[in-house]
Amino acid sequence: MKRELPLVSDRPLAKAGLQSERVLWPERGPGVFEREVEEMEDALLLTTVEKAVAWAQSNSVWPDTFGLACCAIEMMSIVSSRYDIARFGMERFSSSPRQADLLIVSGRVTHKMAPPLRQVYDQMLEPKWVIAMGACASSGGMFNNYTILQGVDKIVPVDIHVPGCPPRPEALMEGIVRLHEKIRGGVPPAYEIRGVAE
Amino acid sequence: MATLPSTRIYEGTRIPSPVPTILEVDPEKHRLEDILRVNFGPNHPSTHGVLRLVVDLDGETVAGIRAIIGYLHTGFEKNMEHKSWWKSVTYAPRIDYVSFHANELLYVLAIEKLLEIEVPRRATWARMALAELNRIHSHLVWLGTSALELGAISLFWYCFDDRDQILDLFEMAGGTRMHTRYVQVGGIAEDLPPDFTREARKFCDAMPKSVDEYEAILDRNAIWLERTVGVGLLSADDALALAQSGPMLRSTGVDWDLRRDMPYLAYDEVDFDVPVYGGGDVYDRYRVHMDEMRESVRIVRQCLDRLDETDGEPWIADDRKVVLPPRHELHTSMESLIHHFKIVTEGFTVPEGEVYVAIESPRGENGCYLVSDGGARPWRVKFRAPSFAALQATATIVQGLLIADLIAAGGSLDPVMGDADR
Amino acid sequence: MSSYAAVPGVVETRESFGETTLVVDPARLVEACTALRDEHGFNFLSDIAAADYLGWGEQDVAGYIGTAGGRDIHMPGSQGLARVPDPKPKRFSVSYHLLRVSDDPVRLRVQAWLDDGESLESLIPVWPAADWFEREAYDMLGIRFEGHANLVRILMPEDWEGHPLRKDYPLGGEPVRFSDED
Repeated sequence: MKRELPLVSDRPLAKAGLQSERVLWPERGPGVFEREVEEMEDALLLTTVEKAVAWAQSNSVWPDTFGLACCAIEMMSIVSSRYDIARFGMERFSSSPRQADLLIVSGRVTHKMAPPLRQVYDQMLEPKWVIAMGACASSGGMFNNYTILQGVDKIVPVDIHVPGCPPRPEALMEGIVRLHEKIRGGVPPAYEIRGVAE
Repeated sequence: MATLPSTRIYEGTRIPSPVPTILEVDPEKHRLEDILRVNFGPNHPSTHGVLRLVVDLDGETVAGIRAIIGYLHTGFEKNMEHKSWWKSVTYAPRIDYVSFHANELLYVLAIEKLLEIEVPRRATWARMALAELNRIHSHLVWLGTSALELGAISLFWYCFDDRDQILDLFEMAGGTRMHTRYVQVGGIAEDLPPDFTREARKFCDAMPKSVDEYEAILDRNAIWLERTVGVGLLSADDALALAQSGPMLRSTGVDWDLRRDMPYLAYDEVDFDVPVYGGGDVYDRYRVHMDEMRESVRIVRQCLDRLDETDGEPWIADDRKVVLPPRHELHTSMESLIHHFKIVTEGFTVPEGEVYVAIESPRGENGCYLVSDGGARPWRVKFRAPSFAALQATATIVQGLLIADLIAAGGSLDPVMGDADR
Repeated sequence: MSSYAAVPGVVETRESFGETTLVVDPARLVEACTALRDEHGFNFLSDIAAADYLGWGEQDVAGYIGTAGGRDIHMPGSQGLARVPDPKPKRFSVSYHLLRVSDDPVRLRVQAWLDDGESLESLIPVWPAADWFEREAYDMLGIRFEGHANLVRILMPEDWEGHPLRKDYPLGGEPVRFSDED
C-alpha cells in the first residue's frame, strides 16, 4: 500500500519539533496533524514569532490545583504514572494562581464556592485558559438544584469542556491535547472571544 | 470488642468549650497582639478538597482554629427526594467520591432493609469483594495524598499506580472506573465477568508487596516519624464523645469495627483482624490504614473463593416487583412485561417506614437514615457522613501544634469534602 | 425493649425493621439523653437526622400512568402509595441515632416531634458531637436548638435565606434548554 502523504520534514512545524499523539492514529498518518494546525495558523495569519511563542506556551501549560470533587480524583490520576501528564510538560501543578496558566475546574461548583473560584481566576495572569472538567463544571451535571452553579462558564470563560462523570483520564487528556492544539494554532484564549466575564 | 483503655494519651478532655468545634485563643497563653489570623482558603494545596480553616497563629503555633465547610454542599438529599428509587441510587456514590462503592452499598442496603428483600449469596460476596477493594483504593488515595503533603512526594505515584489497578478491576465489573452504580436493589446490576476472580487474585498477590514497599519507605523514616509521632493527639474518651469512628477511633485504642461488631453483608463469615493502636497520633492512624489494607486483601481473597464457588448462581433477587425481569422472559410472560413496564416508568415502591443503616466505610461509620412513605420516591434521605464527624475533631487535635503539623493532623482525619458537605 | 421504660420523658416506644425508636417529650430531651448515656451506656451519638413531614400522605406518583377519572390510591394494586400512610403528629421529627460502643453493641433512635417555630435544647453538654449535626439541622430545616453557642449556617452561605430541605422550599436549578429549541 503506497502512502501518498507528503513527507513530515516538509512541514515547518515538524521542524520546530511539533509532535502530537494524533499522529499515531491509524487514519491520521504523519503529517495530517501538522497540516491541520498549519491551516488554522494560515487562517489566523500568525507570524513566525507568534508561532514560536505559541509553541512554547503550549508545551508548558502549568495547571492550577483546583480540584473540587470526584473529577479531582481523576485529575490526580492523570499526574500518576499510567496516564502521565508530564509528557506534555504539565506535571507542575501550581497551588498559587499567580504561577498557573490553566485552571482545570474539576468538580461541582456551589454558589458558596463561586466567589473563591472567580477570585482564583482573577489572580491568574494572562494568558490563561480554563478547562471545565466533567459534567458538573460544564453544565451543572446531574445536580440541577438550589446550590450548584449550572455550568462554570457562567462566571469564568471556558476554553474546553470535557464531558464525563467523571471523565476518564484519557478523556481529560484529549481535552488537554485539544487545548494545546488551540494554543499552537493561535486561537485566542476564551476571555478574548467570549462576551462572558472578561 | 476489648474493653476501653484508660486515657493515657492525655489527662482529662481537650474538647474546647462552649463550642466543641472552635478553638478560641486563650489570652493567658498568647498575647492577643501577637495573633495573626490566616485563612487556609477553600482552594489550597493540601489535597483534601474544599475545606476552609481559619487559623489563629502565634508565631508558628496554632492558637485558635475553626473549620468552615459547605463549599461543596451539593444538595444530594434534596435531589434524591425528587427522583425515583432507581434513579436516586446514582447520586449516592458521588457523596464520598473516594469510597464510592461504600456509599452505593449503604444506600441500597437501606432500601433493601425497608423492602425486606433477600439478596442472593453471589451478590453479597461480589458486593463485599468490591467494598474491600474500594477500601484499599480509599486508603491508597489517603496515603498518596497525605504523604505528598508531608513531603514524601514519590509515594503519590506509587499509590496511584496501585490504585489504577484497582480501578481496572472496577471497570471490569461495573463498566467504568469510578461511580460504577453497580450495586442494584436486590443484588448487583450484572454478573461479574468470567475473568474477574483471576485478575483480582493477581492483584491480591501483588498488593501486599506494595504495602511492604510503602512501609519500607515510611515506617522508620526519621522525617516521617518526626512529623507524625505525637502529632494530633486524641484520647479515646474524646474520640467517642466527638463521634469519631473508623481509623480515627481505632488509633486511640478503642477496638470498634462495624464489620466485626455489628456485621452486615457476610462479614461474620470471613476471617479478618481489626488493627487497633493506642497512641492516638497521626502515626498510629497511618499504621491503622496500612494494616487495614492488608486485612482487606485477606478479605478479598476469601470473597473471591466464595465467588468461584457460587459461579453460575443468580446475582440479583427474584422479586419481580422490585427487580427487572430478565429480557428473554418479556417475550413469553405477560406479568413480566407488566412488571418491567411498571418498574421502568414509575419505579418500584418501597413500604412505609424509617430505617437507619450503617456500614464501615474506609472513613468510619457511614450511615443512612431513610424514610419512605410507601411511594415511588424517597421521602427523606439523610447520610451520616464520617468526614463530617471527623472534621468536628479538628479543634481538639490541633492544640499546641505548629502550623506544619496542622497539615499532618488535618490529613490524618481523612476528610473527603463531598462526604462532609453532601 | 422494656428496659427503656425507666428513661424519663419517653412517650412511646416503637419497634420496626429490627430497630427501636423512643419517642420523647421535647421538653425532657436532655434528661432522657443524659439517662441513656449514663445509665444505659450510649456513649456514641451517630447522627441527628431531622425530617420535614409537610405534605405527608398527599404525595403524587412519580410515574406516567393514570386514568381519566383519576386514581384511587386505596385500591390495592393501583400505582403509587400502597395505602395512605398514617398522619404524623407534628411537622418536624428530629431523630437522634445512638450507639453503645461496647461488648454489647446496641443501636437506638430517640425521636422528638416539633412544629415550625418550636425548638429543642442542644445536646452539646451530653455529647459534644451534636455541635455540627444541630447546625446542619438548623441550616437545612430551620430547627432551632436552645443553648447552642454557635447556631449559624454550616452548609449554605452565611447570608442564605430559607431552609433548603423543607418541603415547601423548591428544588431550584434551571430549566434545561435543548439545542434544537429556539
